[in-house]
Amino acid sequence: MSAAQQVAENAPVIGNPIPVGAEVYNRIVGFLYQEATLLDTIRLKEWGATLAPDLVYTVPLRQTRPMSQQAQSVIRTVQHYHDNYRSIMGRIMRLTETRSAWAEDPPSRTRRMVSNVQVFATDRPDEFAVVSYLLLTRSRFDFPDMDLISGERNDLLRVDGEGFKLVRREVILDQAVLGTPNLAIFL
Amino acid sequence: MLTKASYTLADGTPLSDLVRVPTREVQMRALSDPEIYQLEMDRVFGKTWLLLGHESEVPNSGDFVVRDMGSDSVIVARAKDGNIHVSLNVCPHRGMRISTVDAGNTQIHKCIYHGWAFKPSGEFIGAPVEKECMHGKMMPKEDLGLPQARVTLYGGIIFATWDLEGPSFEEFLGDAKWYFDTLFERSDKGLEVLGPPQRFIVRANWKAAGEQSAADGYHTLTLHRWLGEVGNYSKSGEGGSADLSPEMYGVEVSSPHGHALRCIDLGRKIRKLTGLDPAELTVDQKLEALPPPGMTHEMLPQLRKRLSEEQLEVMVSMPPQVGGIFPNVLFAFVYIPQADGSVLGLTLLHAYVPKGPDQLEFVNWVLAEKDAPQELKDKMLMQSIQLFGTSGMVEQDDSDTWPHMTLAAKGARGRRSTLKYQAVYETGAPAGWPGPGIVNEGFTKDDTQWHWWLYWNELMNAKA
Ligand code: FES
Ligand SMILES: [Fe+2]
Repeated sequence: MSAAQQVAENAPVIGNPIPVGAEVYNRIVGFLYQEATLLDTIRLKEWGATLAPDLVYTVPLRQTRPMSQQAQSVIRTVQHYHDNYRSIMGRIMRLTETRSAWAEDPPSRTRRMVSNVQVFATDRPDEFAVVSYLLLTRSRFDFPDMDLISGERNDLLRVDGEGFKLVRREVILDQAVLGTPNLAIFL
Repeated sequence: MLTKASYTLADGTPLSDLVRVPTREVQMRALSDPEIYQLEMDRVFGKTWLLLGHESEVPNSGDFVVRDMGSDSVIVARAKDGNIHVSLNVCPHRGMRISTVDAGNTQIHKCIYHGWAFKPSGEFIGAPVEKECMHGKMMPKEDLGLPQARVTLYGGIIFATWDLEGPSFEEFLGDAKWYFDTLFERSDKGLEVLGPPQRFIVRANWKAAGEQSAADGYHTLTLHRWLGEVGNYSKSGEGGSADLSPEMYGVEVSSPHGHALRCIDLGRKIRKLTGLDPAELTVDQKLEALPPPGMTHEMLPQLRKRLSEEQLEVMVSMPPQVGGIFPNVLFAFVYIPQADGSVLGLTLLHAYVPKGPDQLEFVNWVLAEKDAPQELKDKMLMQSIQLFGTSGMVEQDDSDTWPHMTLAAKGARGRRSTLKYQAVYETGAPAGWPGPGIVNEGFTKDDTQWHWWLYWNELMNAKA
């Protein structure tokens, strides 16, 4: 069974939208903002603590396809990220516990703009499906170019005490050819 | 026959001065000069065989992908007769791109501008309004097809060249073919792609990546030092002090055509897996202990059938693990240690497509044996993505390094600095080494990369 199939089988059924401004909606937006802060300020271990142990974290490829074949514009075989909890923690370990993770040392200056948040109930009372837009700016060294990474995040959040844990994230990027030299940063 | 022809760059520097043979130096300006780049598009990318993909990307009649040969877009399509054709993606009418997408399936490639239509083989079908003969009467239909590159399949990998009369792909590989066959011709059904390639832009000259692909083992020690610091690679288990240098010993094969293979000693891995001295084990025992990357025990008889005893000897002792095919291809057939003590093999190909003097497109194909079980393919896919390509923890560091070299090559002083390849092998091949080519053993040195530059120099200064 492929990882994609596994995810499909474990996914909850998506239910009704939760209105903007509802209590749980606000708490989820708060979680997303806080998450962006942790990542932008490179508090990666704290970010790691918000991940569920059954996390699946993927970033499909995109292809330019005709209007009639838009389903095929998202590629979930080879992807840019294809990770689980263990491998994401491995990435965090490389970035935080070695002195030679050069792709992010010196680190990029990043800004994660998270917007257009939509929250949906699921058939599991403690899990919410969350769609958000991401615009990530990335500046490295004294380079005048600012790398832009834009996409849609499809998340599954699970209630965890007062907060949430990230169970599933799929980021649908907008570029078929990425304009940044690597994804050494989390989306 | 190629003959020397002098060419002088705009500032008066002879082109042949860029590579200084006696001291093994290359002028840095080669990594950003637009004039040199323009010459390369004809003299290097117009002359050599270029990697475009794998036939498993276009399995059915009409399937196509759009790829690049140097600075030209091409359509790689499977025609009705089953053959793969590579056509220039430029409409012969007024120059619109024929295909504006990345992939698809069609028997008719129709230009959206005025509607001229072409077969997957590139043949001109016709122009709209047949009775008005809108393609004119001056040129016959046969002359209005899409220009065709010369195509070859090697282990299912699609290579093409604009040099219709030049050496065959086999001749181009030369002695290196003996080694490449152990990677690409080792199984009955061959390799397949696990999906379309990852693609991303690196603001670096293509040669910053290209010369590294010619088996720069040395950089692993420092640029990829983290491999020794944490995780399954860490030798000390503590992190922080692990020494990767034992991994830098092996055998390197270079080629007068700039191809290169780094053959790394498997002895320590086999000793760890079997608890036995590899010198005491037969070829079969070593194959059983650690099959080549991506192969299963069940597939081993195919190796015996397809490869010579001498090739098998190399595969179980000093297999080629990384290296390149000139000018812009990197292969990785690597053995990755796993948390449970086992080893997982990965098989990847990269192309570093030139996108202007200061930019390259990194194209990364993840491969597996067609015959391998799905479970193994899934494992290989995940781990390939985690270590190589876009988010790969190893190659992140490479793609962050090359732009600095390209920027440095723009400085008025920096452009006159040189890349140095002065760590020269003094060893030659190990005693009894069964393979052909320019072979040296010991700690990784600069010879393979120097031979890469010598061939670049030969092509740049040659005139047909
Ligand atoms: S440019 Fe293609 S039909 Fe005119
Ligand atoms: Fe590297």
